[in-house]
Amino acid sequence: MAASLASRADLDGAIERIGRRFGTRAMLRGDAAERQASERRFLTGTSFDRLAGGIRSGAPLAFVGQGSSGKLALALRAVAGAQCEGGHALWLDPTGSLDAGAADRAGVDLERLIVVRARAREDVIRSAAAGLRSDGLRLVVVDTGCALAPAEVTADQLAPLVPLVRGSTAALLVIADRTPARLALPTYAFERVAWQRRFERTSGWSFSVSRGRRDAAIFQAGALGRTFADSGLGPERAEGLAS
Amino acid sequence: MNVIAVVRLDAGATDAVVASSLTALCAMLPRVGVLDRGVFACDLRGTRSLLGEPDQVGRRILATCRRAGTPCTVGIASASFVARVVADRSPLGEVHEAGADERAYLAPLPVAILPLAADVVEELALLGLRSVGAFAALERGAVLDRFGHAAAAAHALARGEDAATVHGIVPRRRIRARRRWDDPILSKEQLLFALRVTADEIARSLAADGMAALRLGLALEREATPPLRLERTLLPPTADPAALLRSLRWALEEWRELGRVVGASLEAVEVEPLRGRQLGLFAPDGARREEALALAQHLRTRLGEGAVLRARVVDPDARLPEREAEWDEVVA
Repeated sequence: MAASLASRADLDGAIERIGRRFGTRAMLRGDAAERQASERRFLTGTSFDRLAGGIRSGAPLAFVGQGSSGKLALALRAVAGAQCEGGHALWLDPTGSLDAGAADRAGVDLERLIVVRARAREDVIRSAAAGLRSDGLRLVVVDTGCALAPAEVTADQLAPLVPLVRGSTAALLVIADRTPARLALPTYAFERVAWQRRFERTSGWSFSVSRGRRDAAIFQAGALGRTFADSGLGPERAEGLAS
Repeated sequence: MNVIAVVRLDAGATDAVVASSLTALCAMLPRVGVLDRGVFACDLRGTRSLLGEPDQVGRRILATCRRAGTPCTVGIASASFVARVVADRSPLGEVHEAGADERAYLAPLPVAILPLAADVVEELALLGLRSVGAFAALERGAVLDRFGHAAAAAHALARGEDAATVHGIVPRRRIRARRRWDDPILSKEQLLFALRVTADEIARSLAADGMAALRLGLALEREATPPLRLERTLLPPTADPAALLRSLRWALEEWRELGRVVGASLEAVEVEPLRGRQLGLFAPDGARREEALALAQHLRTRLGEGAVLRARVVDPDARLPEREAEWDEVVA
């Protein structure tokens, strides 16, 4: 019994020394690793969390869908979720299209959102790489623009960031119009389900978020991010909304 | 009882000799302060049992400075000002003491030895006050009323009421760590990983001295290319190895290619006393904020003005979306 306690103390000491030497959480016991893996996730506060289990730090993720399909609306909620734990977020906005008002309405703390308007592909990749190497960020978002106003960088060209995100304290979220052809990222497909009209004008749309053939999370977004409603999880809801 | 020895080096001593004399004195005595170029105050309190009587210490100081390359004079008194006056008025290579009655020692000396403005000395001379003793005999309140605070302070010195203590200096020590690697390092990530050990070593040395690094110098030895020298300023100054390494990371980010690195020398080029860091009570995470701002600073340097921004909502009800918010630089 005494020997077991002594060996446990030795092990604890060794883990602590490795932590001091190579950074906290460099080595963990299995139970602590499992617990901390959940702690390293942050939530968007929507049905997307039930679909994807939140967004995990140190992992890449892609939101893919055509224009006005709700990618930015959900990405802004992801930023707000990332900031809940006190970190900053970096938004790479090569097309200069980020709507600060919509971000504010989505609950983003604009003080803690660093927006980088680098246009050149090389600058975008290097800025994102610097962000992923930094310890001060929880989320790095790269918005590659839409078909009407594309950025110089495409999702496929972000491949150099994938090895960097593995050891990062931040998650990488790529927003793209098309699924990357040569880059395998966990991708969530955004599809517009129906336009919403009010007084003969378009006032918003409903959209679904899904991965593969699994359940879809359904949302309703107002123009300019003025409203956002979460309709829950399930394909039948999408069909209902479409009809 | 205070015992202070003021050491005045020969006026012709070079900067190198002055520095080596100071280093030798710091190694010999517990507290040495710098009064002027080539003038040092040594606090001899508590040294009697270890080093002997003050005049013996004075003779050892003479020998030490001679070995360092310059003759000097040593004045000993209970107050720093009196000891300096004694040293100033003694010939090179001698040790003199002010004696038991320091006020009596100062009394016959000209009033110009006191730290007084020239016009005050002239006015005192017109009043017939030419010696320190005559000036010291004036009433304190009268001096203050007529000549002001500076003259009142000089009046206290004339009476031997010098309360100044010796502010000891910490002799500069090179805080440096070196590493050489058998296999060349090719990537920044590998280099940063390898530099952790040197950053830890520097941090330990800094912590042992109670100092924080203000400037870091990194020299990278490379195969087939000249050494690369980088320098970083750390604000706030720190002895935290993670912060040192972070700063090095940003320095390396500036370089696209580092070449084949076979050795590194890291030095805390400039240090200052370590101070605690005040965190805001409700600040979510001060360290993360600093790191994020360092990133913003780095990106702004790379991308230029107008590229690293922060939004601010100015009119949530604006009719036009573009008037809703304004954009400011994160780091001006």
